[in-house]
This record gives sequence, structure tokens and C-alpha cells, in this order.
Amino acid sequence: MIKMNNIVKRFDNHTVLSDVTFEVKEKEIFGLLGPSGAGKTTIINILTNQLKSDSGSHEINVIPFETGLMLDEDGLYVRLSCIENLDVFACIYGIPRKKSMEALKSVGLIGAEKKPVSALSRGMRQRLAFARAILHSPKILFLDEPTSGLDPGTAQGIHEIIQNLRKNGATIFLTTHNMEEAVKLCDKVALLHKGRIVEQGAPAEICERHHAFKTVPDLESVFIKMTGMDVQ
Amino acid sequence: MRSAKAIFIKQARDLFRNRMMLIQFIIFPVMAFVMTEFVAKSTPEIPSSMFVTMFAAMFIGMTPLSMTAGVIAEDKEHNSLRFLVMAGVKPHEYLIGTCGFTFLACALVSLLFGLIGGFTSVELAKFVAVLILGSCASLLLGATIGLFSKNQQAATAISTPTFMLLAFSPMIAQFNTNVAKVSTIFYTQQVNTIVNNLTDGIMKPILIILANIAILLTLFIIVYRKNKIRGKR
Repeated sequence: MIKMNNIVKRFDNHTVLSDVTFEVKEKEIFGLLGPSGAGKTTIINILTNQLKSDSGSHEINVIPFETGLMLDEDGLYVRLSCIENLDVFACIYGIPRKKSMEALKSVGLIGAEKKPVSALSRGMRQRLAFARAILHSPKILFLDEPTSGLDPGTAQGIHEIIQNLRKNGATIFLTTHNMEEAVKLCDKVALLHKGRIVEQGAPAEICERHHAFKTVPDLESVFIKMTGMDVQ
Repeated sequence: MRSAKAIFIKQARDLFRNRMMLIQFIIFPVMAFVMTEFVAKSTPEIPSSMFVTMFAAMFIGMTPLSMTAGVIAEDKEHNSLRFLVMAGVKPHEYLIGTCGFTFLACALVSLLFGLIGGFTSVELAKFVAVLILGSCASLLLGATIGLFSKNQQAATAISTPTFMLLAFSPMIAQFNTNVAKVSTIFYTQQVNTIVNNLTDGIMKPILIILANIAILLTLFIIVYRKNKIRGKR
């Protein structure tokens, strides 16, 4: 579904990605883990054709219309209400407007539909951005730190939606520096450090390889062991 | 055209909540109305449509330019443009939706100016047509500035001196012959010339406005090709 082969990306003389290779299969939840500045967002930018790599290749087996995107900068229209923001995209996708309401309901924003985005809290904005990403039931969903800064209850709600989307056939590519989240959600993860993938596979397999099981797979200690630094 | 329609509707909703932009659309016709009713009509030496033509020419030089530049730069700065591109919106659809709404709003305000001016139907048609032509030039220039600018601050820094030059030069030209010579090449000066002499021949001013549009369209295409329509990195 998604493939990256030996991708290299430099900004000026600084190499931000070197030899990045991975594959995401259909209906898989793939997690890209690493600290801030590791190159996670650059990978999403390349995969979504917003940035060109210097060498290597990548492929995605869907058209842009079939992808959903949620980024750190949400790109919401601040003077419009929640429902109006979603209506813009419902109209672009050519889907009925009732889908906007359903998407708002799924992220728990019913009651706030007429609130302007400028009056929303950070968590509410994040949920609205998530609702926009899933509005058209995309085949591939790119989520850049989908739960960072959210309260545990809301984050749990987002996790449930992600799992439901996968059940319905979506492939999910997410970046996070929350190891617990990765273990809980992902079928496969790649650990990214200074633009290089230092380990990849199923979370349990990785932890087993590095003898990092406590009562549950402990990806964080694998990351520290491999990179010498804390993921946070 | 579904995407252009969605962006057009979004622009309409956004304008009514963006006080700064809304003021730009309202202030010029309101000023024209007030000055015409309370100054021009009570002062025989002043032509009755003087304030209408003056504010209409200023409106054409300022509002479409600053609004288009501001909207495109804001969409780039807030990353909204990237989500539109990812949703499959084509660059021309984005520009039609964004500029289309501003164009329509300018056409309506131009008509309002014409009605305040109390022109005959032929003069009114000529007046509105010339203002619409001037709007096209301003829209192209605004879109070019919006594409070129990385954020709203940069867009404001470029668009403010530009619209001041274009909007005020016809007025300053009345008092200074040197400025008058230079401002002849600006479309705003030609719009001002036509709306002030609606009964005269308009071929030469129209040709200058069309030449302005051709130059601005070329500039727009160059900047468009270099900057593309996409979100920031």
C-alpha cells in the first residue's frame, strides 16, 4: 500500500533522511516513532508529494483524494464554525453534508458545531482536524502526532476511532513519540533516529529481539538502548 | 467546479466574519454616499458625481488587491492550502473560488457606486464595466502578491505600498504634473479618467487598462509557475 525505498532528503547541507526504507501493507496501522526533529513529518511530506526526495523512490497505491491527512498545523479556517469547516471539504469531496455531522459526532464535538474555530481549545481543534481527515472515509490516513496534547479520555476516543477505521479497511500511517500509544495501536513500527530507521517490525517482536519486555512490550527502553537518548 | 464552488462559499462566509475585510468593501461606498449627499449636493461648484468617481477609483485600486493577497497568504501561512491540495483541489479551482468571490463582490460594490452617482443607464453601464475591468487588474496583482508572499505579514508589506501608489496616484496627479505623467501608465489612473468623463471617448484608456491586465497576467503566470499552489514546508 505504501512503500519507501532508500529515501534521502537534505535541506541545504543538512541530511534529514538517509536511506529510509519501509513498507506498509493494506489495512495495517504503521507507526513511525522518534523524537522531535527525527524526520517524521518530512517522511509524511514526501509520501503526500508535498516534498521531493533527493534520491530513492516511494509509492502509494491510492489517488490523493483517497488519503486523509492530519498534521500538527491543522489548517482550519479560524473564522468559520466547526461544521462550516467540514462542509467546505464535504462539498469538495462531493459527499452529503450529513457526513460532516457524523464526523463531528464521532470525535465528540456535537454541541460545538456552531462554535467558531477561534473559540475552540487546542484539544477540540485537534479533534476537529481529525474529523476532517476521516470525513471522506479515506483508504489511507496520515496522522502526525494525532493525540499529542490531548487529555487521556479524548486520546482514548481517538484510538478507538483509529481502530474502527482499520476494521473498516483503512490503512493508517501515524507518527508519534508516545511509545505506549504505538504498542497499543500499531501492527508495525519503525524507530527513527536522526533521519535513519534504526529498527522496525511488530512492537512485540522488536521488544523480544532486544529483551525489553516488562509486563508489556517496552519499546521505550529499546529506543533508548539503540539511540542513547530519551524519545521525549 | 465543485471545489471552486466550495471555496467560493467559504470565502463568502469568511468575509462576513472578517471585519477588517468587510470594512474595506463598505467604507468606500459609504464615504461616497455621505460626501455626495452632504457636501456635493449643497455645493454647486462641486460636480455631483465627484466623490463617487474618486472613491470608486480608490476602491478599485485597494480592495481587490489587498483582499486577494491577504486571503492567499493567509491560506499559505495557516497551512489550509495544503489540505485543499491534498483534497484534490486544482490550482485553477482554488484561484477561481478565491478570486471569483472577490470579483463578484467588487462588481456589486461597483454597481452600488453607480447607483449613488445617479448616472444615466448608458453611463451606469460604462461606469460599472470600467470598474470591473479595473478589478480584474487589481485581482491579478493581488493574487501575484499572495502567491509570492510566504505569510500575511509579507503580503501586507508588499500590498500596502502597492495599493497606496495605485489608489492615490490619480488623486495626486490632479495637483502635480510630474505624477500625472507617470500615473498615466497605471490602470487606476485610466479608470479614474474614464469614470470622470463618461461621455468622452474611452478607447485609449481602455487600451492602457488592457495592456496593464496583459502585463499583470504575464507576471502572475511567472510567479504562479515559480511558487505553485501548495502549502508551506
